[in-house]
Amino acid sequence: MQEICNKTIDEKMYFAEHESGLKIYLMHKKGYTKQFAIFATHYGSNDCKFIIPGENDITQVPDGIAHFLEHKMFEEEEGSIFEEFSKNGASANAFTNFTTTAYLFASTDKFYENLKLLVNFVQNPYFTDENIEKEKGIIGQEIRMYEDDPNWRVYFNMLDALYHIHPVKIDIAGTIDSISKINKEMLYKCYKTFYHPSNMVLFAVGDIDINKSLKIITDNIKEKSKQGTIKRIYPEEPNAVNKDYVEQKMSVSMPIFNIGFKDTDVGYGGKKLLKKDLSTQISLELLAGRSSDTYEELYNEGLIDNTFETEYIGEIDHGYSIIGGQSKNPRAVKDLILNKLANTDNFKEEDFERIKKKFMGRFLRAFNSVDCIGQSFISYYMKDINILDYLDVLKEIQYIDIINRFKHHLNKENSVLSVVKP
Amino acid sequence: MDLIHVQITDGINLYVKNIDKFKTISINTYIHNYLGKDATRFALIPSILRRGTKKIKTYKDISKFLEGLYGATLSSAVYKRGERHIQQYKLELAEEKYINEDILNVGANFLKEFLFNPLIVDNGFEKAYVNQEKEIQKNRIESRINEKTKYAVDRCIEEMCKGENYSIYELGSIEDLNEIDEKNLYRYYCKCMNTLPIDIYVVGHVDPDYVIQLFHKHFNVEREKILSIPETAVKKSVEKVKYVTDKLDVTQGKLTLGFRTNISPNEKAYYPLLLYSGILGGGPFSKLFMNVREKSSLAYYASTRLERFKGLMLIMSGIEIDNYQKTLDLILQQVEEMKRGNISNYEFDSTLKAVRTSMNAIKDSATQLSDFYMSQNIAHSNDDIEDFINKIEKVAINDVVRVSENIKLDTVYFMTGRKGGVANAGNMQ
Repeated sequence: MQEICNKTIDEKMYFAEHESGLKIYLMHKKGYTKQFAIFATHYGSNDCKFIIPGENDITQVPDGIAHFLEHKMFEEEEGSIFEEFSKNGASANAFTNFTTTAYLFASTDKFYENLKLLVNFVQNPYFTDENIEKEKGIIGQEIRMYEDDPNWRVYFNMLDALYHIHPVKIDIAGTIDSISKINKEMLYKCYKTFYHPSNMVLFAVGDIDINKSLKIITDNIKEKSKQGTIKRIYPEEPNAVNKDYVEQKMSVSMPIFNIGFKDTDVGYGGKKLLKKDLSTQISLELLAGRSSDTYEELYNEGLIDNTFETEYIGEIDHGYSIIGGQSKNPRAVKDLILNKLANTDNFKEEDFERIKKKFMGRFLRAFNSVDCIGQSFISYYMKDINILDYLDVLKEIQYIDIINRFKHHLNKENSVLSVVKP
Repeated sequence: MDLIHVQITDGINLYVKNIDKFKTISINTYIHNYLGKDATRFALIPSILRRGTKKIKTYKDISKFLEGLYGATLSSAVYKRGERHIQQYKLELAEEKYINEDILNVGANFLKEFLFNPLIVDNGFEKAYVNQEKEIQKNRIESRINEKTKYAVDRCIEEMCKGENYSIYELGSIEDLNEIDEKNLYRYYCKCMNTLPIDIYVVGHVDPDYVIQLFHKHFNVEREKILSIPETAVKKSVEKVKYVTDKLDVTQGKLTLGFRTNISPNEKAYYPLLLYSGILGGGPFSKLFMNVREKSSLAYYASTRLERFKGLMLIMSGIEIDNYQKTLDLILQQVEEMKRGNISNYEFDSTLKAVRTSMNAIKDSATQLSDFYMSQNIAHSNDDIEDFINKIEKVAINDVVRVSENIKLDTVYFMTGRKGGVANAGNMQ
């Protein structure tokens, strides 16, 4: 096994690649009671058009199928896999986002049995017409729940304003109409394409025996050879935003808003992406973080409250910044922010150095929790980033990188405003 | 691994736990009050303190100070534990070995400054700050309707506990906000700091002696007679089930059932109650998950929650509006199954193990540990996590069935769409 160390934070992980192409990462956390393992595939709601390895034709599937598949993986011929985890006192779960589907468990006992269970059930699909129909009602209610959530709606409306044709504008769970079209054959097709170990990664962390864990994983992977390349077909998204304003009326007490900035510098992963990700996050902190002039002005004018937050989401093929919260006047918030962005000379390098310290602290905090380590690891891994490189990349960032992000990303042309109002 | 306890001064208790696995040191401060007519004022204090101290006069400068301290974080929250109103302040500092600074001393000094030396102008708080924070608190109270899932539960509790102090919302009411100004709020704040019990929990890789010495140095303040907080009443018989419907612009109905358990937080019956709640709706092994979600596809979520300190149990679910009666009947049927003792070994064992896992997992989070010890204090229990687990493991299925006799349906709350209604609400007596 290969060792990957980070001396600054005193953490290391072990890496091995299985003959099937599965990447395995294991991390020892001494003194922790909880163990956490996550088995993820590089397959999410964005992958709705693709060419199956060995075929020539394009396959297109209904919206929401990756998430539907995630739900159905918990069913086996003998019953629900939840039952097996429950018998071991472990709590199993799963999630689907734009790029990833992940299966996970947290336990404080019987870790190796649970690990074996995790590896096996994800390799064992069992779909019937009957159990697919049953799930449509459940996921239908999940979709309804999100329809009533103003924060979710304001976010997806923002994505719809940012993007013309990129699948990121499609709701992860699809719609009640789109999932009604899902059948057994489609699910098996998606499974066979995207759940090959060479498209997957397994990460486990806790006070665990590294060699024993590795052996359990390798002994239980059925595939012995790698798969050909999956060709994913993403449409050619233009650089311009789709529309600069979108609003929806819902049952809320006051307007909720998301200001979005579309990232046009995309198409790469790895350390370069990590550097861009951190630079953008620091830019957002300088612009509108808790210690910024902007935050103080907006707050004192009664335009924002403590729900005000900034965030950058940077994937390999797309990315965007969000500034959001509640406000009686979202347009005024956006205007003030654009004004600040028009004159970047007001930002100071000393503030940048301090914000960097803040990010160091944030990184340290993330390593307190095994769940948090696992979730972050996977999220970075899907962008070809190893989380342990975080501090080194952070140290490299210069003030000029921040200024560049202000110039090329956080500007009026790239911006949209999404509002949900009463 | 033991928790060390010392009294710093009247009504200020310090608890220290030295654990060397975390990368940060967490200092959780809890200020306890009685939940009652002062709820609104009490809930406003953390927001005002955040705006400035005598030395660091603005929120911006406080933020800068914390960022410079290697991204230290300070967050505050206000919530209820039974009829007890609590302000919580969480200060998290990077561990010294990563940064080579006596950060604990700087942190403890700052915490003292933050809590006891706010910015004062002419014997009052800063007027502009108070007005802004009042406005924000008003918005926060009004925006409860945004999160429908949580709001449905809150509304059920409100209706269920009408006339009891527990029905007071943790941020108080808009009417009471109107009575507050910078002078009377400052007077009230002084009274709180002089008379309310304060618990401070320090968890992380620390030298306990040094922590005690630091807090003696910084927190040795003069105080008056400390308020003793009355116990929350948990016993209440139900005369008749209440049915409440709210109409909002929603596409999904939210069904919430409120039950009285009539069990106090440290009664022997509390442990079987915890398992009762788990078997009924505590996870994918539970009756509600299996029957409401998996077998009938009526809901994506159907689960229970215990309000340990008020003796309540809630069942919550999001459903198609037309399925109200069908779902209600099915849920009540599961409650009936519990009473009849139709509990499988699988349901019982899985719940027991799930509770054990979640109790053990507390050991991996500094804040969860602090919350656990603080809650145990309120419940007058000296049980550590291991003792707690031992008590759970002594529970038998029969104990759970016996507890089901205590549990009485009090309120059925339904949030429905503007167009939808409730088909002839309920017929359960």
